Amino acid sequence: MNLTVNGVSRAVQSAPLTSLLDVLREELGVTSPKAGCEQGGCGACTVLVGGEPQRACLTPVGAIDGAEVTTVEGLGPPEELSPVQQAFTHHYAAQCGFCTAGMLLAAEAYIERGGTDDREAIQEALSGHVCRCTGYVKIIDAVAAAARGDSFDLTTTAPGAGMTNLGGVS
Amino acid sequence: MKAVGARLPRYDGIEHVTGRTTYVDDVRVPGTLWTKALRSPLHSATFSGLDTSKAEAMPGVRAVISAADVPLLEYGHLSALGIPADEPLLAKDEVRYKGQPIALVAAEDEETAMAAVEAIGVDFEEREPLLDIRRAWDEDAPKIHQWGNWYPHFEGEMDCRQIRKGSIDEAFEQADTIVQGVYRPAAIEHVPLETQVALVVPEANGRLTIYSCTQALYFSMGVVAAHLQLPLNKLKVVGGTVGGGFGGKVDTATETMCSLLAQKSGRPVKWRWTREEEFLCSSTRAPWHMEVADAVTSDGWILGRKMLTLHDSGAYARFSPYGLTKHSFHHTGAYTIPNLHFDGYVVFTNRVPTTAMRGFGVTSVSFATETHLSRIADVLGLDPYEVRLKNANRIGDTSPNRIVYTDPSTVPVVKALADGMDVTLAPEYAAMGPGQREGDLLPEHLVSQLADPEAH
Repeated sequence: MNLTVNGVSRAVQSAPLTSLLDVLREELGVTSPKAGCEQGGCGACTVLVGGEPQRACLTPVGAIDGAEVTTVEGLGPPEELSPVQQAFTHHYAAQCGFCTAGMLLAAEAYIERGGTDDREAIQEALSGHVCRCTGYVKIIDAVAAAARGDSFDLTTTAPGAGMTNLGGVS
Repeated sequence: MKAVGARLPRYDGIEHVTGRTTYVDDVRVPGTLWTKALRSPLHSATFSGLDTSKAEAMPGVRAVISAADVPLLEYGHLSALGIPADEPLLAKDEVRYKGQPIALVAAEDEETAMAAVEAIGVDFEEREPLLDIRRAWDEDAPKIHQWGNWYPHFEGEMDCRQIRKGSIDEAFEQADTIVQGVYRPAAIEHVPLETQVALVVPEANGRLTIYSCTQALYFSMGVVAAHLQLPLNKLKVVGGTVGGGFGGKVDTATETMCSLLAQKSGRPVKWRWTREEEFLCSSTRAPWHMEVADAVTSDGWILGRKMLTLHDSGAYARFSPYGLTKHSFHHTGAYTIPNLHFDGYVVFTNRVPTTAMRGFGVTSVSFATETHLSRIADVLGLDPYEVRLKNANRIGDTSPNRIVYTDPSTVPVVKALADGMDVTLAPEYAAMGPGQREGDLLPEHLVSQLADPEAH
């Protein structure tokens, strides 16, 4: 079998009934999708398959042979963050970070299909994702900001800016 | 004050949004073994005939451990504070809660480890469990713990945590009304998205590198060193990246057993609990049973409180004596009651051991107190905000354990709540601040307390 993971063609040796989550994490070493519940309940393993959010833990790899899979590693590296990644950073939308990968991909797909900053619509789009730190307000703020196309100055929130650059506050 | 009000970067913010944060389960070490546990299927039982030979002989199985493999079987999380140990790392001869680990297998893959656990032989003799703390004192209640059904080792070998302040008898004699209530918040599972997990990598020189999801790295280090009887310089503990904890990762759940398996197999060993194990076998917030009786005047002053608390510790003590102590210190909530009579017991049951969770020991009594104050207002026909403001902690008041409040926030919080609910307070309440009591708000029963907190 073969998968295109974040634009790179990868051969897959695992048995066809192996979950996509195990293939990504254990065989291919792509660790951003998390094994939160492994029964489709929490959303932490969500990846994009052909652009659509899908539970990696419930997806037998044999069912998507040849598919294009996108994980957070494929969204943008630290120096070229996608708008959704920028918005999550700016709005402090990640706390422990364990749900963040799934949230980001669900948000990415929501905006890709024309989603707006309507908070109810965003809630619906993210309804399959649990944030046990209960950071939902900031997460919805971030998705709404990305959907609006807000631009962010991350120089005050970027690593390294630290205590020497406090955004003009002295 | 450069930081207050400024936008500061999260040190892990960019890592979180690029999928680069390395949680324990993301650490990749070639040759890592999977772990599965044989756990008690019963709430309470004795067992014999533990036989791991078939499991050990299975292809792909690299190590099996049980109680006999642990250098120091019993060690308490609070041993360093003088609280004695009661819990074995792995069950020996008896199990006291459903899900208690008895033996562990490390194998080349998950399926082999599961099959090996199935191959372990053990004969259980089921006992009647004790699951309701209210039954602990009954003559016919099962005796479930070596110390009795409740914890007997508070200072001075007392079997309960007591608070005595002022004169409770006088308060109840002077009261216009006694308002009583019983409050029973249930157990709560922490449900971190990252389940309990550890990875232990043995080095050729005998040192162990322990990757842990713990919230309390130095607890884990001490607990592992004690059980394994190793000096601390043989342990390198890597922590600080936690996929949610909420108190449930204060107990050392996986590191010690992974370390033993790594020593025995000479291989890196990972143990990641399933969601089912997390729900059924991991610690929870304790269920509580609280009985409150307040001596009140008809105009809403609380003169005294009698309280009995039963804290469900589950099968072992762990942090519960500490949690109950915090509970006792806070048992009047955000309010000042001058005459107190509090007894609190840490009660053992055949449930999973309970532990810390956000506001350990305190949220239970805050729930009880807030509900009770509304009940008092209801019984007396008074405004619930005004009853709260009247009895609010003020500068110079003292807590149940005689700490003098220097910056209490009850008054501004209650006023903000009233504001948020569009409640208009009477002018004398609207004008209140958190400052020292005086005038009408320094009633006779609080005069002596304010004059000399030590007098109580």
